[in-house]
Amino acid sequence: MKFVILIHSHPQPWGHPTGDYVAENQALPQEQRDQMNAEFDALLTQLHTNGELLVGEALADPVTSTLYRWQSGKPIATDGPYAESKEQFAGFFMIDVATRERAEEIAAAFAGPGETIELRPAMWSGGNDQ
Amino acid sequence: MTRDAGEDVWRREAPHVLAALLRRSGDFESCEDAVQEALIAASVQWPAEGMPDNPRGWLIRVASRKLIDHQRSQTARTRRELEAAAYASDPAGLEPAADALPHDDDTVQMLLLCAHPALSESSQVALTLRAVAGLTTAQIAAGFLVPEATMAQRISRAKATLRGAGARFEAPTAADLPGRLHAVRHVLYLTFNEGYATSSGANLIDTDLAIEAIRVTERLHRALPDDTETASLLALMLLTHARAPARTDDRGDLVPLAEQDRSRWDRDLVARGTTLVEQALAAGPAGPFALQAAIAAIHDEATTSGATDWLQITVLYRMLDGLAPSPTVTLNLAIAVGMAHGPTAGLDLLDPLLEQEGQQRNHRVHAARAHLLDLAGSTAAAQEEYRVAARLTASIPEQRYLNRRANPRTAGRAPSQQNR
Repeated sequence: MKFVILIHSHPQPWGHPTGDYVAENQALPQEQRDQMNAEFDALLTQLHTNGELLVGEALADPVTSTLYRWQSGKPIATDGPYAESKEQFAGFFMIDVATRERAEEIAAAFAGPGETIELRPAMWSGGNDQ
Repeated sequence: MTRDAGEDVWRREAPHVLAALLRRSGDFESCEDAVQEALIAASVQWPAEGMPDNPRGWLIRVASRKLIDHQRSQTARTRRELEAAAYASDPAGLEPAADALPHDDDTVQMLLLCAHPALSESSQVALTLRAVAGLTTAQIAAGFLVPEATMAQRISRAKATLRGAGARFEAPTAADLPGRLHAVRHVLYLTFNEGYATSSGANLIDTDLAIEAIRVTERLHRALPDDTETASLLALMLLTHARAPARTDDRGDLVPLAEQDRSRWDRDLVARGTTLVEQALAAGPAGPFALQAAIAAIHDEATTSGATDWLQITVLYRMLDGLAPSPTVTLNLAIAVGMAHGPTAGLDLLDPLLEQEGQQRNHRVHAARAHLLDLAGSTAAAQEEYRVAARLTASIPEQRYLNRRANPRTAGRAPSQQNR
């Protein structure tokens, strides 16, 4: 089962790992932040070595986005973020795991103060006829 | 399937070649790597130069040379150097005459090793496909629709896990065998299901895992003809695979069982599967695979979906529910009861499922409710349930089908309503 883990965050300034640039995370004692970072690194290593992680990408600042909208029968490009919301889409990981429970366990480990983690199943083109 | 005779041969030989190497060296990881390299060498050389007279001898020779190279390159490991020297000085010992080895035992032992309890299910499946079915990592990755690097990672992790667990290539004790075989059958069943579900839809898939699973299960059945659950698993696969030609329409859309063109089903596979399951049922108490195969046989022998013997299917699902209860069995029993005794009786069985953890989000429960509500004449409620099911499924063809049923304008156009 494939899932994407979407990182919604608001790093100030924009930077990765996003947690280092989020006020709520920065407010934690350094010791706790170090421990959380170490745990996250260990998780990523585990997902890589056991073949559950398919791909992961950190995204650039949303001000570097180009948006394309359909107008008068053709795409019109504009610069800038998709939405002026506080949280922005900052990165994603795609995983392939045996069960939804495992995906939930992994996604929960991505959570940090001041950020929202979204777990979404990927659609697939197979199916069952019964 | 397009495959030349050479590939059939080197893939069939893969577990025997690996077994021959393992008898000389207990190191599964390097032996398996060496066999994989030999298979790749065969895939390059055989088409160009013709198949050798003794393919197994050829593969064993090439694989042991690869193994020696590998062991020599690890210069720091003196002990292995010595082992390699022992190989080099005794090459004849590695080249038994063709068929000198008991092949069937090789296959069974290799399957048992690949289904080792220390491995995760996905690792068991991947390792079985490589060590027993003789597939390359790229072919396995294609079957699972994941990048090759990811599959390589899973396989090397699986091999490291086997080493850590001290797993050995050896014959199981008589007391161990039933439990270990149970795990092997589960691995083959998972492989088949993965292939069965993935091969529907408009996917272009290079590796048909369903066919690979059938091949390996055939071999296990040949090695253990008296094992009725293995025979039944093979029967279940054949009876299910027989419907493959009718499972997708010209556009690649999924066609539900009730709406399939039954003239396209493979009657030879149905006949073989039916014989196998009849023999299994006659031989003793029915296990879970025998019951599932019997259910598949009843579906397959119905010339129209209306002619399905739902009463008998109900009886078999009740037996399965007693033997191996699960939400899936409850769901299928509810549908069968709904078809045999009326939708209300089916809904009475189905509705308690929604109270169970996680079942609210199981699209199949909602699709089954929708189907039974539809039969009961509650059209609006059925459409609402189809909508819920459509939102919850992650399968694109299933979603397309469920959305069609949810829409009042297209619901009545479902093919099942046309062909009656």
